[in-house]
Amino acid sequence: MSTLTVDDLTKEYGDVTALDGVTFEIEDEFAVLLGESGAGKSTLLRCVNGLTEPTSGSIVLDGEVVTESRSDVGMIFQQHNLVEGVSAYMNALTGSLSHVSMLRSLMQWQSREDKLQALEALETVGLLEEAHQRVSQMSGGQQQRVGIARGLVQDPRLLLADEPVASLDPSSAETVMGYLKKAATEHDVTALVSLHQVNIAAHFGERFIGLRDGQTVFDVRRAELTPELIDDLYGNVDTVGLADTHGDGPASEEIEPGPETEQVLAQ
Amino acid sequence: MSTKPHDDAPVRTYLGLAEVGETPAEQKLTALKYRKTKRRLLTFLGIVATAVLFGLSLELIGFSIGELLTQLPQFIEALAEYFPPTTISIPFVGVGIPFVDLGQYWAFMLEENLILTYEMGGSLLGLGVFPPMFYEGITIVPGAMFETLAVALAGSMLGMPLALFFGVMSSERVIPYPFNFLFRLTMSLIRAIPGLVWFLILIPLAGVTTFTAALAIMVDTIGYLGRLFTDELEEIADGPIEGIRSTGANKSQVVSFGMLSQVFRQFIAWIAFDIEHNVRAAIGLGLIGGGGLGLELYIQRQTFHYTEMMACIILIFLLAGTVELLSQRVRSALREEDSVEKTGVLEAFANVPKKLLASTVGRRS
Repeated sequence: MSTLTVDDLTKEYGDVTALDGVTFEIEDEFAVLLGESGAGKSTLLRCVNGLTEPTSGSIVLDGEVVTESRSDVGMIFQQHNLVEGVSAYMNALTGSLSHVSMLRSLMQWQSREDKLQALEALETVGLLEEAHQRVSQMSGGQQQRVGIARGLVQDPRLLLADEPVASLDPSSAETVMGYLKKAATEHDVTALVSLHQVNIAAHFGERFIGLRDGQTVFDVRRAELTPELIDDLYGNVDTVGLADTHGDGPASEEIEPGPETEQVLAQ
Repeated sequence: MSTKPHDDAPVRTYLGLAEVGETPAEQKLTALKYRKTKRRLLTFLGIVATAVLFGLSLELIGFSIGELLTQLPQFIEALAEYFPPTTISIPFVGVGIPFVDLGQYWAFMLEENLILTYEMGGSLLGLGVFPPMFYEGITIVPGAMFETLAVALAGSMLGMPLALFFGVMSSERVIPYPFNFLFRLTMSLIRAIPGLVWFLILIPLAGVTTFTAALAIMVDTIGYLGRLFTDELEEIADGPIEGIRSTGANKSQVVSFGMLSQVFRQFIAWIAFDIEHNVRAAIGLGLIGGGGLGLELYIQRQTFHYTEMMACIILIFLLAGTVELLSQRVRSALREEDSVEKTGVLEAFANVPKKLLASTVGRRS
């Protein structure tokens, strides 16, 4: 039960404007960020997580302004960012670091509750049996699920995921997204997930925010998501237009205006 | 066809000094030849400079083949003492086979307590750690070999926490740029002074003793192990650091869980390597008064007891070889799981001679 309010968020890297006045509010939803590479999805998520400082604008979670990384915001990374040399259990347990003292965490004197919570989180993502395994010995999909478990152990109000399935094969991607959705639902957490695969987004998302060049292009609920919106976001219209001005060429053959997305959205 | 410049000045053409040709290809060829000439000149100068330096160095050290030839008989005489000959007679046959008299070494090792011995009465190790009632009857007296090992181990253990501290503080990811250099500089200064000199420096503090030797090794460990730690930390990935940071962990937790946990295995491997190195260093320190096998070796050399010297050298060989073997095993066990071909204990012992040879030749893995 939590509300994330992003208001007029702007981030500039030198001359490049990564985010340009992004404004939205999500509440107890599984929200999906869509957009091309470089549209500003990662920057937005990193700002919300406090890993990157915005140039201007504000991020408010349940009335509190977010300025730095905090335990009640869990983050799942594309490259999972786990410590590979240690077990899945130890990685999940790092989710509880923020409320454990340095000495206790070093000596692994976390409370029994913390330890059980880490194992339960691994159970949620279906990895309880593999808890003792070293992360480097796991498959990409399993590693990402450990990342989800670490996020859950933080007991978050908000779960962020930055292209969590971009580097996975289609079947693992579906499994991981399934567990992510399950985790968010079971723990009653608001989720903001950036995705590349439109079909997966349409299947799991409840709310869709489209970004292009750092600006919000659309912000719709599931029922309002149309193939036209998607085609517009990924610039098919532009590309076709470009191909047309150049006359013939293979480009116009390749880019049919989104039959695939239509098909997916019909599900 | 273009004119052929090499007709009138073949040498100049070969060196790339002739007129450049007309076509771009000819011009490039001339340019390439010119570059080659320059490179050859530089190589020649380099060889000359090296030869001059080598010659001057030989002059300075008083190198003389004649000296070697006059001294050779004396060395051969010494060899006979290094390896005292004896004959082993084969039972029932009555034939004697010439062999080295190992008994003489053994006798000296026992006499000077180079390995260890025990006495009646007193407490364990003679250290008084345990009340005598537990060990009434027997005291183990560690000999020179264990003294050397103790110097190396104590020095390594004392230096390790400081090496970890300096190594971590030197990393730019932990301490921002100009300040991490203070720690780096400290380690550089420590390394600039050899361990033997550290021993000399520290003599006023604890005398010409094994204690000072251990302190010298401690200082040495800070410089070397710390540097290895820093280098290892340069290689770590950013991802896990960010991952830990995103959980809301504090700065020191990010360092220990995001950074150190990535290099934990490598650190253990370096520590094993450093202990191995320190055992050899401890032998060297013994030669200048730091006790143990080195000191024993030095005393025997001063009195020209070559057989006794060789007894010390044999133990040095065994000690350094054993520690190296153990350290290698630890390091190969820590290496990533992709090299899981685990050597059995028997196999490991079968490999001992090969490894000892490799370690004396000075090959590093």
